[in-house]
Amino acid sequence: MIRISKPKPLLTLTHQLLQRCTVSGTAKGKAKLKSGQPLKRSKISSKKGGPQKDGDSSGQGGRIQDEKQRLYHECLNAPTPVRHLTPRERAREVEREKMGLMSKERQREVEILKKGGRKALGVPDDPMIIGTPGLDLITLGLVDADKIPKYELTVEDGRRLAKEYSRVLMRKHRARQAAESTLLRLKKEAIEALPEKLKQAALVPDLAPFPANRFMATLTPPIEGYIEKMY
Amino acid sequence: MRRSLASAARQLAGTRGFCSKPEKIVASVLFERLPVVLPKIDPVVYAFQEFSFRWRQQYRRRYPDEFLDMSKSKGKGDYQIEYVPAPRITEADKTNDKKSLQRALDRRLYLLLYGNSYGAPSGKPVWHFPEKVYESEETLRKCAESALNSVIGDLSDTYFVGNAPMGHMVMQPTGNVSEPYKQFFFKSQVIATNKFNIGKCKDFIWVTKDELLEYFPEQAEFLSKMIIS
Repeated sequence: MIRISKPKPLLTLTHQLLQRCTVSGTAKGKAKLKSGQPLKRSKISSKKGGPQKDGDSSGQGGRIQDEKQRLYHECLNAPTPVRHLTPRERAREVEREKMGLMSKERQREVEILKKGGRKALGVPDDPMIIGTPGLDLITLGLVDADKIPKYELTVEDGRRLAKEYSRVLMRKHRARQAAESTLLRLKKEAIEALPEKLKQAALVPDLAPFPANRFMATLTPPIEGYIEKMY
Repeated sequence: MRRSLASAARQLAGTRGFCSKPEKIVASVLFERLPVVLPKIDPVVYAFQEFSFRWRQQYRRRYPDEFLDMSKSKGKGDYQIEYVPAPRITEADKTNDKKSLQRALDRRLYLLLYGNSYGAPSGKPVWHFPEKVYESEETLRKCAESALNSVIGDLSDTYFVGNAPMGHMVMQPTGNVSEPYKQFFFKSQVIATNKFNIGKCKDFIWVTKDELLEYFPEQAEFLSKMIIS
């Protein structure tokens, strides 16, 4: 018990003097971080192994470390074709441009626009297919391709499509709710119309579990001779 | 429906007050095959889903190729599965073969029989649901089950949903039936088979809801309320 309790005061002292972030193991100093500065990376994972390998790998180890660091840097600052900015941020960018300053992201955006806009970075302008090619919804016949409304990738078109979508689905939902309540009403009336003894029998809830081999609707139908073969 | 003399006497002499004649009750079965294939998607819904997917793709980060190759190479090896999906519109659809269960795969199909029905003038075959007059069994559901049993043969591939009927109709006297009787519908579903041996009647047919409404013009409104889709 004495052994456990002794190191405690020392730990708390070091903890207060140099707090370590629980995730990366590096020092937890937020106040001194400036934006735009390359972030300190944790060196724990990239420790060179053993004193024997030090001589061999120190020359190559440095280069490989650089490539890995470059990869990490590219992944962490991966570009997006269209940047997501609030209106306030956009106003700030415009002001900065008037002053003559331009941030790196803005520069990248300008370059992308010069190259030809979103299309350059792989956002296709024509309608994409949903699902794997060959098994997507249009070729399977689930959707009539000609009845799809035409639209551009703009905010107004998006809003219009969303309104129609919501309208269609809400209509269907309401119809389904109405149909289900009609079903319940008819069932109650039928039970009322039964003579007394049968009514008691009908009101007994049927708690037997429904059969486990009930066929579930799938995207494509089973082959015609399949079920007979299973028995 | 035969009641014993004692109960009939009790009813006549009793102070209850409901009608003294025992009412005829017919239990009929709505035998349905659930859809085998997912229903069609509305083009508006599809358009919106596509739009939202492409809009989100705009803001997706584009990672460098070496990173993506690393993740791909560690996965399993490439194996091509040659899969040709079966068509959703089957031959039965094209030939409009109403006796096969493969017809309208994305809709429900209901069984109708052609033969002598309880409510029809005697001798004249008519389209009707499988039915049976209630005669002192335990419950009406058992009566309905025996009705379906007599038509199909055995009940192993059917599932009756609940003990209670799902609707009733008061049928007026026609033909050889002299008094109004009540027809109760019970719901039962096809489980996992494709073929049935339908006996005991001249003809049978599997119909969708719209065709069903054609076969019963005077009860169309009630049936369209009772059957969804």
